Amino acid sequence: MAKDMEQLYQQRLKRYVAAMRNEKSDMIPIRPFVAEFTAKYAGYTCQEVTHDYEKAFAAARKCAADFDWDAVVSNMVYVWTGLTEAIGLKYYGVPGISIPPTTGFQYIEPPEEKAFMKPDEYDQLIEDPTGFLYNVWLPRVSADVSAMGQPTSFRNNLSFLKGGMAMLTYFNAFGKQNELLRTESGTVSAIAGILKAPFDIIADKLRGYLGLVTDVLERPDKVLAACEALMPHLTHVALSGADPDKNVPIGYWMHRGCVPFFSMEHFKRFYWPTFKPIVEEIWAHGHQVLFYAEGNWDAHLDSFAELPDQSIVYHVDHGDIFKVHKVLGEKFCISGGIPNWLLATGTPADVRDYCKKVIDGVAGNGGYIMDASAIVQNDAKVENIKAMTEFTRDYGVY
Amino acid sequence: MKKQQKTKRPPGVCIPWQEKLKELPKISGDKELVQKVWQNIDALGYMYIWQCLLSF
Repeated sequence: MAKDMEQLYQQRLKRYVAAMRNEKSDMIPIRPFVAEFTAKYAGYTCQEVTHDYEKAFAAARKCAADFDWDAVVSNMVYVWTGLTEAIGLKYYGVPGISIPPTTGFQYIEPPEEKAFMKPDEYDQLIEDPTGFLYNVWLPRVSADVSAMGQPTSFRNNLSFLKGGMAMLTYFNAFGKQNELLRTESGTVSAIAGILKAPFDIIADKLRGYLGLVTDVLERPDKVLAACEALMPHLTHVALSGADPDKNVPIGYWMHRGCVPFFSMEHFKRFYWPTFKPIVEEIWAHGHQVLFYAEGNWDAHLDSFAELPDQSIVYHVDHGDIFKVHKVLGEKFCISGGIPNWLLATGTPADVRDYCKKVIDGVAGNGGYIMDASAIVQNDAKVENIKAMTEFTRDYGVY
Repeated sequence: MKKQQKTKRPPGVCIPWQEKLKELPKISGDKELVQKVWQNIDALGYMYIWQCLLSF
């Protein structure tokens, strides 16, 4: 490894970590969550980076090498559809198979009556979450896995063998990818591990959003018990994938548990009491959590402010970043806030103006990381991403 | 964590070692080695299904 590249890596790591601890470093770190944008920049289709993770890795490294970014996600096009096809997962729109090769992969939620978990199955989930997932959920979400009690099949057996081997191959490849990011461009891998809230995951993958809307009214005690049953498992998975050096945070992907998808009453009854303890537990182990607040979670900022100082990094999507800074800025680092629509439809001058507004408003005392509002897909203009990067480097020096 | 449920199958486990141990003849060699390897590989089965739920 070239000594200067390692020095660059250490400099960037220090800058990135300082900001995440809500401190001021030499300049504002840049950590764009670039997904299908990497394909556009590197000359691949969405199908290529989604179905061939080596191309996705190469595209991420090319962007990291060409842009002056402190940290990136090793592969933000995270869902390798080669793996999901091997398992037979039904809920993906796969570029080049079921959707155009130039479109990013999609989640397809089934209609309420075909939800992957039925309303009368809460007790099974509560009693044994892992058993429920294997015995009930997986046969429903996979085209190949046989239901319990049904004859097994060649395709059933292969689903587990190929799925297991492919998943391990994929996860192991991240070690090399992170090392190459470090040695080729001095870039930090931005996050490690995954976390979702119990309430969110019930809506995302089990009951569906509409099913859960019904359940919070018709069987609220079951919903709460299910959230509580999932808590230790989601905590365990998050900690299992966390950064052993405790530098970078665990990514927490926030979906539909906020107002107006659910009422404030439901948030306070189900979502927050079964998620806040997870964050506190993770923080007790010395790991930060990156709240990737997709959509607008401004109604819940006072709840998030209950968390220990520095325990989270709060990423702003559609929320009001200036309001977020006012409520959370004393306690937590903030990231994001540059609208994706602006990166897709605006001019470089528009982007520079917006970046200035955000930096002036929230970054004065450190504790801010430059990023788009949401994951950057292939609609973003290259010149606008360059403008965001170069302006921040020029203007964001402390 | 006050709210967490005590499940029969705790986090990180698919088939508990104590359950597997009942199926085995008396272990003549290093029992701890057998237990450790069983648990480490069993944890991969746990990872598989929870990663399917959360990541894929």
